[in-house]
Amino acid sequence: MPLRAKAPLAALFAAFLLAGTPGSAQQSWHKAYFPNVELVTQDGKKVRFYDNVIRGKVVAINFIYTKCPDVCPLDTAALRRVQKLLGPRMGRDVHFYSISLDPKNDTPAALKKYMKTFDVGPGWTFLTGRPQDLALIQSKFGIKPVSAGMLTAHDTRYVLGNESMARWLKRTPHDNPHVLAHILTSDLAKPGTNRDAQPRRSYAEATRVEGITDGAKLFMSRCSACHTVGGGDSKLGPDLAGVVERRPPAWLHRWIKEPDRMMTEKDPAVMAMMAKYRGLPMPNLKLSNANVAEVIDYLADETKRHRVSLAKPTPKQVAGAHRH
Amino acid sequence: MTARSTVRRIALLTCTTLGWFAVSTPAQAQVEQPVFTRSPLLNGATPFSQKLLIYEEMAPQDLPTTYANTRLPVPVGCDASPGNAALDIFLKSPLSLAPKEQANEFVQNPWRVKIAECLNNGLTQSPIEGRPPGQYFAHQRWDEFYPGAYVQSATAGARTNTGMRDSQQRHGFAAGTEFGPGGLYYNVLAGSTGPQGTAAGIKPRLHPRLPVQHASSVWTFDGTFPGKLIMARYGEPLLFRHYNALPISATANGGFGVNTLSTHLHNGHNPAESDGFPGAYFYPGQYYDYRYPMILSANDRVNTDYSNWRTTTPDGYGGDTKIKGDYRETLSTLWFHDHRIDHTGENVYKGMVGMMNVYSGVDRGREGRNCHYTNPAIYHNLCMPSGTHLDWGNRDYDVNLSIADKAWDANGQLFYNLFAIDGFLGDRITVNWAWMPFLEVRPRRYRFRVLNASMSRLYKIALVTGTGKRVPFHMVANDGNIMEHAVAFPNVQAQDLPLQSIGERFDIVVDFRAFATGTKLYFVNLAEHEDGSRAKQYASLSDALAGKSDDPGVGKFLEFRVAAAVPGAQDLSMNPADYVEGKLKMIPRATFTPAELAGARVRKFQFGHSGGSDEKPWTIQTDDGKGLSVDLKRVSAVPSMGAVEIWHLTNGNDGESQSSWAHPVHIHFEEGQILSRDGAPPPVWEKWARKDMYNIGRLFSNDVKVALRFGDFLGSYVEHCHNTQHEDFAMMLRFDVKNPADPMLIRTPLPGWNGVSYAASYLLSE
Repeated sequence: MPLRAKAPLAALFAAFLLAGTPGSAQQSWHKAYFPNVELVTQDGKKVRFYDNVIRGKVVAINFIYTKCPDVCPLDTAALRRVQKLLGPRMGRDVHFYSISLDPKNDTPAALKKYMKTFDVGPGWTFLTGRPQDLALIQSKFGIKPVSAGMLTAHDTRYVLGNESMARWLKRTPHDNPHVLAHILTSDLAKPGTNRDAQPRRSYAEATRVEGITDGAKLFMSRCSACHTVGGGDSKLGPDLAGVVERRPPAWLHRWIKEPDRMMTEKDPAVMAMMAKYRGLPMPNLKLSNANVAEVIDYLADETKRHRVSLAKPTPKQVAGAHRH
Repeated sequence: MTARSTVRRIALLTCTTLGWFAVSTPAQAQVEQPVFTRSPLLNGATPFSQKLLIYEEMAPQDLPTTYANTRLPVPVGCDASPGNAALDIFLKSPLSLAPKEQANEFVQNPWRVKIAECLNNGLTQSPIEGRPPGQYFAHQRWDEFYPGAYVQSATAGARTNTGMRDSQQRHGFAAGTEFGPGGLYYNVLAGSTGPQGTAAGIKPRLHPRLPVQHASSVWTFDGTFPGKLIMARYGEPLLFRHYNALPISATANGGFGVNTLSTHLHNGHNPAESDGFPGAYFYPGQYYDYRYPMILSANDRVNTDYSNWRTTTPDGYGGDTKIKGDYRETLSTLWFHDHRIDHTGENVYKGMVGMMNVYSGVDRGREGRNCHYTNPAIYHNLCMPSGTHLDWGNRDYDVNLSIADKAWDANGQLFYNLFAIDGFLGDRITVNWAWMPFLEVRPRRYRFRVLNASMSRLYKIALVTGTGKRVPFHMVANDGNIMEHAVAFPNVQAQDLPLQSIGERFDIVVDFRAFATGTKLYFVNLAEHEDGSRAKQYASLSDALAGKSDDPGVGKFLEFRVAAAVPGAQDLSMNPADYVEGKLKMIPRATFTPAELAGARVRKFQFGHSGGSDEKPWTIQTDDGKGLSVDLKRVSAVPSMGAVEIWHLTNGNDGESQSSWAHPVHIHFEEGQILSRDGAPPPVWEKWARKDMYNIGRLFSNDVKVALRFGDFLGSYVEHCHNTQHEDFAMMLRFDVKNPADPMLIRTPLPGWNGVSYAASYLLSE
């Protein structure tokens, strides 16, 4: 019975669809499943996808292209937070990969420059290859590839997995970085490397979450990838304590709402920032005016709270860095 | 040569050299994965040659007066569940540790030494209960709804049933029931060889000729077939102690499934800590106590003085015990399944599914005594087809049918594609795990509780004779809600059962009286899929019967065989034809006043792909905000207790519902009344019932407006798309039912082998 296919290649795809009796489920998701296509790293090194990139490893993979104006930079910045939380485990217990979907423009040199812009640390490799191989890798993860003309519509999900365990899942780079780090070091961790023996905060000590404004939610899910309020300038963006006082309100609103336009207009304040941050673009998050106002409110409130806390440190402040 | 065939030729060449090559069409590149596997019919398995497996009961047991303090047996190896004999002894013994309001953190997981040895993770401390400790996952109103009874099970690798639960079966395999000698379900296998009046000997296989499933292929409650059915009644808070007896090693899973679990009783109106929150999963060796209060909705607001004589539960002695709440919100048919974040699809497909029948005064599961139809003024038991042997919960003529499409590999072992992005479709349809079974029936009325327990497949079920003639039936409950009026099928709006999405339940009554002994009738699936995202169209009945569809899941999948009548037997069940519109009412619908609807807060949820692009991951947008992927710490919609709200659920591709995805949306915790679909009144089977699943998208409407009233329990719930593959890929939203006086947001738990921790939330002060 011929099985219907979508493309003009009806006969050929029918052959694929008919060849569908899987072999033993036990061997399903390893060498027989993943392609061993050749990819190239940002250093120009040739690697094989299965053998060198994922085999036997705990990996976190996302798909990007360096000419992306908004989403990929934000994703990269967000994943950098996870990298920081993982510390020395990067490159040892966990491997990050960002795979380009635009090999024409994303040469190894372009990838290397992008990595520098984002201050990407060791243990995180950027890869490129032939278009058909990149599409194949995506489809093997259950992600629909897009053609070169539709790059802005590509799937941005974040694939996490332990290849030996054949355990895979998909999240978003905008999940809480502590949660992503937890996944990579807990259920996906290789035996002997996970932290289950380490002390942890018991859920019994969990307090209620006090009121979260919409602006706070937006800030933490997007802005905090590059910015803090009271934490000092980072490699990716300036600290925002007092920004509502430093910048004219209309300027600030417009910068948050349509930074891409202000960059093309070469606003002098913007140009100064771009120079300091290696040309790293502030992404246009397509926020509504209401959203922008909420974020600005949050920045003002959080500035106040930060200044109060500086005046009299609370026990929480003294406790130190979050121990995961 | 035309341009089209030039493209075809070039692509053909490229394909042969590069395998699964992406072909660039003007719109998008396509790399096709096989949609349907071809599960081989090994050893000559043929359709309709095995008996349907009748669900095995998990019947409520009294809590023991003392607790033996024994422990779940430890497995010998890292790759297996505990030994069969030891596991059976343990599960058959009474509850071994007292249930506690807060998670039992003080007793240790009996497997922790083995875990440390297997995983080399230095584990020294691991609590016996996997529920997050502390006040926020404590059983709410514990003293008030202290368990009156319990059921316990362990999810384990597939194994032969030893009859461990035989003594729990409420029918007792007694003579005079269909489960006893002379009864249709006395012999488990076709013919008279094999198990009789027991479940002992039932092996985990999808057909007697197909290979037995390995312990790593199927994971299910007790590890045994048949599937498990909890028999519950209102007014008796029920404890479900669920042990995780799965292998410690993550790789002992046959290629899919994860060994950490969270169990959701679908729309059981349960408080958050017992609702199967996706992030509250528990580990091998541990248990999780789910406490189901078994109260009617509006327990705190309506009929609090027990004055309504129809609001009762069977007392077990022929009488009724009055209970609080609104009897118009009586539920009957529920199901439970795994809900563990990121891996729900794999786990549910692998076997973590069960059903629950909820009994009440109006739906007692007993016919022939004090029946409503004899005198509606003084009797309230509807006497649905059931049986007469027991005071409540007779299942002789009340059969649970869970339909699930499956696939298996060259060795006959269950197979699942972890990476099927559009949803996984199996090419073989099973009912209660059995591939293409037959069910013997007497020539009388039956109630069938039909559940779609598939991962992505939707069904449109026709009931026909062997010659393809449609057989009339009535729908009496929708999503477990008994309707105000029965709806006869065929009717002007539909010939067959409505298109049924994942998790939807339809209770129907079929009368086999007109058919001679030996007549065969069939359930036929007409809903045709090309991929897992939606049902594309309906096959004609003649095409479906002729096997002419490209979708192997279309066609006959269940055979009914009319057996001879029991001599002298009478059908004392209600006739649904007496309950259609214009005649008697079954249960009046709970309604909303015009003032309530006018004053209701309206929330809009748009499901689909954010930004209008088909390539972006599935998202839910609320109130026209940006699309959000799942993040369990985001709380998007916070209704107030007692509030009436109207939720407007829309499919993302406005105005293009016929080309778009199908999204069956399930709102935990509250039933809703469908007000409209695309601005028009809903179909008649949605008019007379409340529901908990709302379908939008292709072959449904593009949007649906639902009125809901929130109440009773606090905590976090999850509203999501019930296509379980999509569920894994980030289509979840979390909402809290907040107490207006004390709004509260709860942190997301982060479970681990050594206990449950929590993540920093969105506050910088952390």
